[in-house]
Amino acid sequence: MDEGIHIEGLSKRYGEGDTAVDALKEVNMRIAPGEVVGLVGPSGSGKTTLLKCLGAVIEPTRGRMTLGGEVIYDSAQGGWKTPDLRALRRDRIGFIFQAPYLIPFLDVTDNVALLPMLAGRANAPSRTRALELLQALDVAHRAGAQPSELSGGEQQRVSIARALANQPPVILADEPTAPLDSQRALAVMRILNQMASQYQTAIIVVTHDEKIIPTFKRIYHIRDGRTVEEAGEGRDIS
Amino acid sequence: MISLAGRDILHSWGKFVLTGVGLGLLIGATLTMAGVYRGMVDDARVLLTNSGADIWVVQKDTQGPYAESSSIRDDVYRGLLGMPGVAQAANVTYLTMQVRHGDTDSRTMVVGFEPGQPGEPGYLVAGRRLLRGHYEAIADVKTGFRLGEHIRIRRHDYEVVGLTRRMVSSGGDPMVFIPLKDAQEAQFLKDNDAIIADRARTAANPALNRPGVPGLLDAVTASQTINHSVNAVLVKVGAGDTAETVAQEIRRWKHLQAYTREQMEEILIAKLIATSAKQIGMFLAILTIVSAAIVAFIIYTMTLGKIREIAVLKLIGTRNRTIAGMILQQALGLGLIGFIVGKISATLWAPAFPKYVLLETADAMRALVIVMVVCALASTLAIRAALKVDPATAIGG
Repeated sequence: MDEGIHIEGLSKRYGEGDTAVDALKEVNMRIAPGEVVGLVGPSGSGKTTLLKCLGAVIEPTRGRMTLGGEVIYDSAQGGWKTPDLRALRRDRIGFIFQAPYLIPFLDVTDNVALLPMLAGRANAPSRTRALELLQALDVAHRAGAQPSELSGGEQQRVSIARALANQPPVILADEPTAPLDSQRALAVMRILNQMASQYQTAIIVVTHDEKIIPTFKRIYHIRDGRTVEEAGEGRDIS
Repeated sequence: MISLAGRDILHSWGKFVLTGVGLGLLIGATLTMAGVYRGMVDDARVLLTNSGADIWVVQKDTQGPYAESSSIRDDVYRGLLGMPGVAQAANVTYLTMQVRHGDTDSRTMVVGFEPGQPGEPGYLVAGRRLLRGHYEAIADVKTGFRLGEHIRIRRHDYEVVGLTRRMVSSGGDPMVFIPLKDAQEAQFLKDNDAIIADRARTAANPALNRPGVPGLLDAVTASQTINHSVNAVLVKVGAGDTAETVAQEIRRWKHLQAYTREQMEEILIAKLIATSAKQIGMFLAILTIVSAAIVAFIIYTMTLGKIREIAVLKLIGTRNRTIAGMILQQALGLGLIGFIVGKISATLWAPAFPKYVLLETADAMRALVIVMVVCALASTLAIRAALKVDPATAIGG
């Protein structure tokens, strides 16, 4: 069984014929549970396309993807393994965005509890789970606040808690530190490493933020749709 | 599962309530328009009920006395009283005129009736019935007159001795009841100068002022100043007889038109106020369309303002039906707030209308259903926009 994330020969082509663009070309990645890896590349290199394929929002053209030991896509066997991609995203993938994108009309607890509720869990255990995560991320004291009342750093921590709410084996973080200063960016990375280790979640961080690149132990460089793996500095930020 | 719609409404309740109040005022105007129509119908029915008649006997080939002018001789009632099935028959006149009250004119319908006979107001809210044969009046409270005040009708003053309520013409004008003889005079009474001029013309006419016929000119002049016409005879049918049977006999033998209550109601509602009803119907249709457009616009705008959140919700696994439900519930919530505000507004401002506005519970219930259906339909545009949002837009560029 391939725990974490395992991608083999993943390709994505947009368009047909002369206008076809190969956004991803035979991408291979393997990320272990509890590991945080960086996905780095210039604009237009294919980072977002890879994230969308992994996030089950667009269909790859070819390849195989395994999340948490379960094959979710295999072009050789008809594509997506489940027709309900929405449920797949909800239950097996956590998302962290560049901006926190918290739901403005839900308080902090319900922003986190919403995911387990959407998965069919009752309100009370969903909120208990949310409070545990908020506690772990040191924002439990803002549990009843509205998102607009939080600082940028607090909002990002709440969005991390939301990503972890359904205990997904995988979290996809799309430039989570872009709007933050060095100190806050490093704080977010520290939290992501802690959470990955604590919940045995594989985390891909898409970034071109020079401040946090040295913190990765492993980095995938992506250019023209192809990935190259290299060891990172793995600077200690604990 | 938490109510996303409820939370969104609570989060931006100020905007929501203000929008609901705006919509509510529009719904209030719609309910009031329906109430105006109901009031007109009710006025017509009350007019017929208050007249106390089973049959209206009017000039042949006319639809009088309310829809058209009708003139019949004031001795016709005697012949009617002799007919089988007729228990009571009484002359009545109707004259719509401006009546001065203080510094203002008010439009009233002056009714001439014979005390104790059909046509007399059914009940009084103050004062007494007419006891003297002349110069006393009973006024509807909407005329603004009070007991003891005097009403100027033509050249005479009438003392208000009684007040009644809900006595209005088919046009909603409040009624003033005066003795029949006074009313007949008022209908045809001219000013002094006109009378002098008429007498001079008659005297100058050799056919009416023959030298060898003494008394002819006086007789002709007297006949010109006395009015022997009334507008209708109100008939009450005796026990055991049907109004239709008696009306048929009157039409056959008296060569007059006779309408039963159902026929008169048909004339008043289906003919007299039909154009007004269509007018109001048009307004109702336009107001409904405008309300629908406003709800659709508001819900659509509110949804567009949440596109990013909707994309995130879809990305993290929210079902389309949950998102559609959220928008639908908001539209229905807006409709409900609007309806409550509209109903309260209409109830508060209806008494201030010059004409009777009848707000019926059944109409309100119908309006609630229509508002909800309109809101649900109006939300489809916003739901369509929300469902088209690509969850991928939450990621990257």
